Amino acid sequence: MLGQVIVSGILAGSLYAMVALGLALIFGVMRVINIAHGPMLMLGAYTTYFLYAQFGVNPFLTVPIAMAVLFVVGVLLQRGLVFRVVDAPELSSLLLTFGISIALVNLAQLAFTSDLRAVEYITGSWLLGGLAFSKSRVIACAFAALVTALAFLFLKRTRLGKAIRATSQSREVAMVCGVDVARIHMLTFGLGSALAAAGGALLAVIVAIQPEMGGVWTFKSFLVIVLGGAGNYPGALLGGMLLGLVEQLASLFLTTQLSEVVAYVLLVVVLLVRPTGLLGGRQT
Amino acid sequence: VKQAVLGVLVVVLAALAVYPVVGSGYGVRSMQQVFMWIALAGSWNIISGLTGYVSFGHVAFFGAGAYAGAILVADAGWPWPLAALAGGLAATLLALLIGFPCLRLKGPYFAIAMLGLNEVLRALVSYFEGVTGGGNGLSLPTQDATVPVYYVMGLLAVTVTAMSWLILTSRFGLRLMTIREDEVAAEAMGIDTFHHKLLAFLLSAAGPGVAGALTARDHGYIEPISVFPLAITVTMIVMALFGGKGTVFGPVLGAVVLFVAQEMVWAHYPYVHPLLFGAIIIAVVLLMPRGVLGLLQQRYRLPRTI
Repeated sequence: MLGQVIVSGILAGSLYAMVALGLALIFGVMRVINIAHGPMLMLGAYTTYFLYAQFGVNPFLTVPIAMAVLFVVGVLLQRGLVFRVVDAPELSSLLLTFGISIALVNLAQLAFTSDLRAVEYITGSWLLGGLAFSKSRVIACAFAALVTALAFLFLKRTRLGKAIRATSQSREVAMVCGVDVARIHMLTFGLGSALAAAGGALLAVIVAIQPEMGGVWTFKSFLVIVLGGAGNYPGALLGGMLLGLVEQLASLFLTTQLSEVVAYVLLVVVLLVRPTGLLGGRQT
Repeated sequence: VKQAVLGVLVVVLAALAVYPVVGSGYGVRSMQQVFMWIALAGSWNIISGLTGYVSFGHVAFFGAGAYAGAILVADAGWPWPLAALAGGLAATLLALLIGFPCLRLKGPYFAIAMLGLNEVLRALVSYFEGVTGGGNGLSLPTQDATVPVYYVMGLLAVTVTAMSWLILTSRFGLRLMTIREDEVAAEAMGIDTFHHKLLAFLLSAAGPGVAGALTARDHGYIEPISVFPLAITVTMIVMALFGGKGTVFGPVLGAVVLFVAQEMVWAHYPYVHPLLFGAIIIAVVLLMPRGVLGLLQQRYRLPRTI
């Protein structure tokens, strides 16, 4: 039973880690708490649904398309609205992104209605050594690992990735070194949104799609980045795995409904004992 | 000038006191909701407008009060006015419990912790079905209390506003604003910042608790998604922000104006209502972060304690 819990926890945790990494990037670079992160994930899921239902595209092949689409949406949002609240007190970014969030959900309701949609592509499980591996979740986990690895490679190895990390460490110094900070901010918001979209595209195969599916993902991503240490990108991976495991353990020993409560208590404890997260992050 | 302002206040309050006699049922309901929003926005303003700690889950106290009040009325048979007071007390106790850990957090972390508190309460209420009815909600015995609730809600709005005025004109209020401007400096000046924040937090939780219990009585039915939505938190914040946060009458002004605007949007554009609400939020944040009264104070040298 415990083995099964660990398997399920890691499978879920890989998605949490990838989606939360997107939020961590945006928060780390711009200090913007992006409430619209969940709705971005929802739009990614709808992109996959649309391509699958209309053109019969293999849902796993839609992951890069959904990421590209939401990258553009993210860049436009940053360019149009969010750039105004970078550096503003947290109240402004919270409210602004909440406004964007309900507007996006409403637009999705108008465009796609509130009916539940599903991409029934792959179902069932593999059995291995007495453990059940849900096929869709295993493939989603593999894709999430790949996307996350590519994102890290991008951050570590490329000049743009280095510029993003430099901007998140100190904007002024990055600026002095010739980094076009406004452009990095757009890129970061686009990249963060693309990571959320990848999560949505992979979730489309696993859960039902509806306009309000993103809300819990915003909250869970916050949990993950605070657990791991805000502004600490490897911390998002640890936090994601931890959240996946804690949720599964909570549903084993208590009940699924209380898994959020357990995760929250964990969050408050971590914030009190280690305000900078488990791996250490930056204090505001 | 002071006497003129006082005179206007008395006339407005007198008009509101006789309104249920002449007004329609819809009008009384709407005014009661305006009172509720005044109480909510004014209460949020006490913790967040004055100390700068953004409570992004203030609806948690509204919901806690609503459930405490509803359970006492439905299961224990308490009269609703007493249950409303108990709702305020329940919210205050929750604030005490949550304030100890959370008020030590700074900036965005406090906001996220409060946002989380709200999610957690909703999960807890859904889980303990035996007491709360879970996702099916909780029904109160039928009773037409629209007019009495109108008066009590009005009294609550006046109380919260009067409390704001008392705080803003006191040394306590000054110390809270010192914390907002620079907490380290406040500490260095000998202000016990933690206990000041905690007291402000408790004062700002009581009003929403009472308002929640009254709303539960008036609607006769509550469920987790109706009393814990993030949208209520955001609405009260935007109201306070629109009128001018950190002022006494800003939340009142914001509550009245935005409530009317929202009702009009609802009536004319029901399908795109959230979209327009989102646009209003974005406009308020980007165009008038200081609020109407903040702008007027800046331009016309109005008193700080307006």
